[in-house]
Amino acid sequence: MTVTPATAGPEVASREVSLELIGLTRRFGPVVALDGLTFSVPPGEVFGFLGPNGAGKTTTMRAIFGVVAVDGGEVRWRGQPVTEEARHRFGYMPEERGLYPGMQILDQLEYLGRLHDMTASAARAAARGWIGRLGLAGRESAKLEALSHGNQQRVQLAAALMHDPELLVLDEPFAGLDPGGVDDMTEILAERARAGVTVLFSSHQLDLVEHICEAVAIIHRGRVVAQGAVADLERGDRPRLVVRVAGAPAGEWARRLDPRIATVERVDAAGTALLALTPDADSQRVLDAARAAGAVEHFSFATRRLSEVFRDVTGEEA
Amino acid sequence: MHRRWLRLTAIVAEREIRQRGRSRAFAVSTVVLLLVVAAGVAIPAILASHAKPQRVGVVGAPVAGMTEVVREAGHLTDTGVTVVPEPSVASAEAALRSGDLDVVLVNDTEVVVKQVSLSGSSGSGGSLPSAIAAVAGLTKLVGQLPPGATTSGVTLPVRGLTPPSASLSRRLTGLFTVVLVWILISAYGSQIAMGVGEEKSNRIVEVILASVRPLQLLVGKVTGIGVLALAQAALMVATFLGVGAAVGSSLVHGAAPGIVITGAVFLVLGYAFYCTAFAAAGSLVSRQSDVGTVILPVQIPLILAYALSYTVIYANGASTFYRVLGFLPPTAPVAMPVLYAAGDVPAWQAAVSAVLLAVGTVWMARTAATIYERSILRTGSRVRLRQVLGRAPVS
Repeated sequence: MTVTPATAGPEVASREVSLELIGLTRRFGPVVALDGLTFSVPPGEVFGFLGPNGAGKTTTMRAIFGVVAVDGGEVRWRGQPVTEEARHRFGYMPEERGLYPGMQILDQLEYLGRLHDMTASAARAAARGWIGRLGLAGRESAKLEALSHGNQQRVQLAAALMHDPELLVLDEPFAGLDPGGVDDMTEILAERARAGVTVLFSSHQLDLVEHICEAVAIIHRGRVVAQGAVADLERGDRPRLVVRVAGAPAGEWARRLDPRIATVERVDAAGTALLALTPDADSQRVLDAARAAGAVEHFSFATRRLSEVFRDVTGEEA
Repeated sequence: MHRRWLRLTAIVAEREIRQRGRSRAFAVSTVVLLLVVAAGVAIPAILASHAKPQRVGVVGAPVAGMTEVVREAGHLTDTGVTVVPEPSVASAEAALRSGDLDVVLVNDTEVVVKQVSLSGSSGSGGSLPSAIAAVAGLTKLVGQLPPGATTSGVTLPVRGLTPPSASLSRRLTGLFTVVLVWILISAYGSQIAMGVGEEKSNRIVEVILASVRPLQLLVGKVTGIGVLALAQAALMVATFLGVGAAVGSSLVHGAAPGIVITGAVFLVLGYAFYCTAFAAAGSLVSRQSDVGTVILPVQIPLILAYALSYTVIYANGASTFYRVLGFLPPTAPVAMPVLYAAGDVPAWQAAVSAVLLAVGTVWMARTAATIYERSILRTGSRVRLRQVLGRAPVS
């Protein structure tokens, strides 16, 4: 996990970075799929990649693997442009799953491992290891088409993990998994990240993303519209307070607050006011004003769910 | 880059060979093709050994002596003979032309047939004229001759009424070559298109293209399948020659080294020309079931050349049109081996055609690779050629 010092410029100085996407652009005829997309992913972290359908997630992932050529911009790995050799140390699980239906799963995994520079014997050993780990021991010589849908998904994951990749990119890895499958997938992603692997995955299941990821990037129409640690995004750039004062159903006290400290976003029917604090404002001054207005029944910082953040920045539901 | 490039390409090829080579379909098709070849060679030969009696006209006297010669020749060649005395050479030739007679022996002078075969003896039935010529010549030599007769040779000359052309056996060997080239290119071409269509439709191509380039996948696939095709071709040729020799088939006599080499060269070049085209066609579809539709246009030149090849094999001299087909790269793999086997073109023309085909193959491979690379990841409706070959590709 080393970053080449020479390329660790000011924009990456604060955090160690392994994967960088810099100003990616891509048009498909009249459709702009990527429009100057820029974000970076630190190593050893599970990073969520979110966006509405058609935002450019799959195109971005394909661009990382060179499966789609970009019109402009650059993908960098550990400070260097991505080379063929570097790509062989990446693992990919595309959204549209696909393996050879009529091929035995052990042969299939061995083949994919060899395409990632593994020797035949190492690939075979790794294939057996993952087949066992994913609960498919004894099915080595089964054809893929003979497996259940959930087990086919496991083989697909094994295909991405076979060569012990340094970067793991998974497009909608949780789609179509049962709860047990979700738990297994979560555990494997977390374990890989702990081992220092850079894990990037896309998902529409924001509750899951909230739970698994430390940081996310949200894209919309080919551009990043929000990114950062999940906790930071949920707090937002202006901290918000939820305050209810007995006997003040319209929240008149709040409207008298100095706008340099806080502004009222809304007051619900029960008299609960949602206030947006100005940056660096002291929340205790709001508490003082509330107590002056009556008995304070509720006073807390509000956090937004990731799904709300998503809706705010994209204008769409996940 | 090159060693790595080749290694990954070889891994792709190896998978094709292993997966297809051990499939039941490959085993069954191999056995069926070999049985067809064996039957095709053996059955005519077995039937020919019970050839219908030949009608032999004799001109001159003494009829009894000549009848004896003809009977002896028939005995030697295991052919039934019927002797028909003819009043004159002219009437005998007329009967030959009408098919009423098969051979005419003009006493002490010559043996006349309708057409002399180039390769001489060709099968048990066909060797009767030479046997008659030899026996009659020998009889003449041993002195039962009037004085003054020429004794220039042991064997009487054999004269044909029409100019000699390539023997039927040569033509049939040409037919075998054509059928082989046609079957292998269309069968393996379809397999390539199906394989590419499968990889595209079930999306494994995206997993594979994350570690190999499209060209590697394309080259590996057509090479792997090509190795299987050539192995099957070699087995078929071995069966053809082996069974042919065992049953004494006249087909094998036609398998002159030139014809075999021409067939092999055009089989390999023809496969090389067509394999990338079939792969490109397969990359256009999104559902495997659409493969049949897109490969039909690719097959049309082959079908044309194949269908017309029968006119060359069973006619005297190829048409100008067919000779042109022999030089056009899309039709040459089928047309040129026939033309050469039938003796309608000299070897240097076959060589020129092979060079043109090789040049065409390079062009086709480049075009097909471009189509393949641009359409292999495009899902949704079928990709139109215009979309991927335009100046500003949109994929």
